[in-house]
Amino acid sequence: MNKWIMACACGLLSLTGCYNTGEPRENVLKIYNWADYIDEDVLAEFPEWYKEQTGEDIRIVYQTFDINEIMLTKIERGHEDFDVVCPSEYIIERMLKKNLLLPIDTVFGKTPNYLHNESPYIREQLDKLSQPGRRASDYAIGYMWGTAGLLYNTDHVPAEDAKTWASLWNLKYKNKILMKESYRDAYGTALIYANSKNLKEGKVTVEELMNNYSQASVDTVEKYLKAMKPMIAGWEADFGKEMMTKNKAWLNMTWSGDAVWAIEEAGAVGVNLDYEVPEEGSNVWYDGWVIPKYARNVKAASYFINYLCRPEVALRNMDACGYVSSVATPEILEEKLDTTLNYYADLSYFFGPEADSVRIDKVQYPDRRVVERCAMIRDSGERTEAVLEMWSRVKGDNLGLGIVVVIFVSVGVMLVYTVYRRIQRYQHEKLQRRRRRHRKRR
Amino acid sequence: MLRTIRFFLSSRKSWTIPYVIFSAIFVILPLLLIVVYAFMDDAGHFTFGNFTKFFAHPEAINTFVYSIGVAIITTVACILLGYPAAYILTQTRMKYAQTIVVLFILPMWVNILIRTLATVALFDFMDVPLGEGALIFGMVYNFLPFMIYPIYNTLQKLDKSYVEAAQDLGANPVQVFFKAVLPLSMPGIVSGILMVFMPTISTFAIAELLTMNNIKLFGTTIQENINNSMWNYGAALSLIMLFLIGATTLFASDDKGNDEGGGLW
Amino acid sequence: MVKKILCQGYLWLLLLLLYAPIFIIMIYSFTEAKVLGNWTGFSTKLYSSLFTTGTHHSLTNALINTLTIALIAATVSTLLGSITAIGIFNLRARSRKVIGFVNNIPILNGDIIIGISLFLLFVSLGIPQGYTTVVLAHITFCTPYVILSVLPRLKQMNPNIYEAALDLGATPMQALRKVIIPEILPGMISGFMLAVTLSIDDFAVTVFTIGNEGLETLSTYIYADARKGGLTPELRPLSTIIFILVLVLLIIINRRSSKKKEA
Repeated sequence: MNKWIMACACGLLSLTGCYNTGEPRENVLKIYNWADYIDEDVLAEFPEWYKEQTGEDIRIVYQTFDINEIMLTKIERGHEDFDVVCPSEYIIERMLKKNLLLPIDTVFGKTPNYLHNESPYIREQLDKLSQPGRRASDYAIGYMWGTAGLLYNTDHVPAEDAKTWASLWNLKYKNKILMKESYRDAYGTALIYANSKNLKEGKVTVEELMNNYSQASVDTVEKYLKAMKPMIAGWEADFGKEMMTKNKAWLNMTWSGDAVWAIEEAGAVGVNLDYEVPEEGSNVWYDGWVIPKYARNVKAASYFINYLCRPEVALRNMDACGYVSSVATPEILEEKLDTTLNYYADLSYFFGPEADSVRIDKVQYPDRRVVERCAMIRDSGERTEAVLEMWSRVKGDNLGLGIVVVIFVSVGVMLVYTVYRRIQRYQHEKLQRRRRRHRKRR
Repeated sequence: MLRTIRFFLSSRKSWTIPYVIFSAIFVILPLLLIVVYAFMDDAGHFTFGNFTKFFAHPEAINTFVYSIGVAIITTVACILLGYPAAYILTQTRMKYAQTIVVLFILPMWVNILIRTLATVALFDFMDVPLGEGALIFGMVYNFLPFMIYPIYNTLQKLDKSYVEAAQDLGANPVQVFFKAVLPLSMPGIVSGILMVFMPTISTFAIAELLTMNNIKLFGTTIQENINNSMWNYGAALSLIMLFLIGATTLFASDDKGNDEGGGLW
Repeated sequence: MVKKILCQGYLWLLLLLLYAPIFIIMIYSFTEAKVLGNWTGFSTKLYSSLFTTGTHHSLTNALINTLTIALIAATVSTLLGSITAIGIFNLRARSRKVIGFVNNIPILNGDIIIGISLFLLFVSLGIPQGYTTVVLAHITFCTPYVILSVLPRLKQMNPNIYEAALDLGATPMQALRKVIIPEILPGMISGFMLAVTLSIDDFAVTVFTIGNEGLETLSTYIYADARKGGLTPELRPLSTIIFILVLVLLIIINRRSSKKKEA
């Protein structure tokens, strides 16, 4: 009897096993990427391209994450065999430190090496993450990049106010501010604002500030963020751009890609938005493709990264997600030039010397001066925990007196009720017992 | 083999065995695993560390207490709104009532997150600020059907003779309700409380959408920890929640002891 | 009379509130704006882009997964639940109570606890998570509801009919097929419907048991989508279509059952 059921149970369980086997691992490519961060057709066309180039079949297993750390823990602790993932720069640094990456294969046989299309600027920035004996650009190829800044409603917020972080603490905009739900950006922003005077006098640089995790800095940030909390309408993970297009908020600390999306969408419904990177300085970030240590198909992973560096693929991905590709080729520059604009920007740092004065969207491609006043936020290493605890202290403090009273009252009512029922039942039983006795006696 | 099958078919009692085994593997064993993980550190050694960590972090307790508060308010609101609805339903024609009952579950076919996002859009229209009020409103939206059913079920099965007896004995309608109908429908209310209270505390994703990330409930805390691979701490938090479930069930069983949870659905 | 109108009014008001978000989704499925709540003029573009496959394959995949998972899980849990209910019905009171208690655990636990506990189970047994684990998890939380919707039917059944069938020479198997099953069929059907509904609506259990093979259901797709990149606008027409299909289906079922009763 039991045997029969156990057989059934085992059968069911073994089904799980079958799901994974049956196809050699070199024909599977496991990609782990941010949600909504790629053109789906680009993904769908990759197997065909791969077959053309190598003669091998490939099936893509595509999965998405929404938080860097979730991706990292899956790889670091779960040893999951993703072949190619797309973390942000500080996670690339952490993975390099922990020796969790494999170098990207650069031998592609007859296939051209498109990895050279990556802008030298991006490579130079990523190389700041290098660890002893491991040069970052051997392990990571930039994918998208951008700045953090203020998205604002031009009807309610004058452009000057969007040029300073001080607006986030400005009573004028109380409850009209949305803050990005990102402890790293919030930290850097608060510290820059707290030190704006020192910055102006040249005593500190943005880069130093953003990567200063001393206890004193953490305390300063906590103080400033707690002061900011009553000002803001909410911490947005992603809905900020939507609220901005609905005119529900006027000021949103966000990333350039979201700003592009929001400005376009707002235009369609008649709301005027614009984006500025404040004068004090801000964060510039880079996401890149890497091959984790536990990858089991390095060849296909390298080919995939190579494929993403093709200009036409990069362009399609940019269109799909709104961010700016790290790939810098003349084709892309030409495609992105917009002669209807009335301003010129210096993009020689990104596209090369001939692009020192081009008409190009300033939200997507920041001018040289903007990039120069921005800095990368590096991995906070051992101080991460202290920063996170500060962050949860800032965010978690919601308990009001009202709620506590509600709890006490209802627990009290419940207790009284329970005791009351007990007494009632007890009396009832006593009564019955007495009756029974009575009956017996009769 | 054949004999066991024949035995299995002939004795109806043994028909529970597959499910007993199934629940042992997929209900009981996993719960035991929560207990095991909760008392283990990363390396697999026994520890109380996960619980001391919880009690050492005021914001974790803060979230926990806050969630209980929100859940209580939601539950009370659901009773206040749901009881009259269930009562009215029992007073209407059977077929019509059933249609309306179906209408109450139908929204579940639209994904809960999409529904919540639509609720947010609705609040935007009516210029209702997102926050605590919106959160409770949204929670009541989601869990009201779970309060209406059990109450409707018990009210429907309620022995009408009690009510008539009370009327014959000269009770006025208000007295009839409070002395006869309400106590008799208690099991339904208790089931409803169980169906609303715990899910509210453990809700995640919804609270964030309705309050622009200003408020998070305990479910989110647990989920964040599991996602960050802090399984042991997550398990400890789950265990704390299990205790709470145990406590509410205990309170509930006081009333239902005689009937094996009949009112639940 | 006034009282009756007031009472009915209250019911319909509740329903109206409950349906308001759904109306919003329906209305805004007819505009192109990416943000739910923005109106950029009437358009059926979202409907056509939903059906031109290719642009949204991951959404289509997620939809197919959701439906197949729901159907498999609901079928298995309806069978398992009905068998168990018949078993429970034939048990003595004490064991009945024990099983009833175990049965209530998944209902009371809240989905996050079910999800985490099953996650820990699969992780510690080293079972790779994927389609099968999601189906198993869904069976776990659907079956109790099926049992609870079948049991009352059994209780209402007149036990004499079954005995009579046996006395008239029916084998237990025949008696089951001819007597018990027809009696509990409505309970089975409502249990099945409930299971499908719960399975489709579930997010918390799915997200913990879905593993990393790239499997996605509608709810995990929407969750990732809502967290990053904004809700895909095509979800609006999709939800509208699903909702209307279900509504029509229910109306048809209702009509047919009421006709049967009349006849």
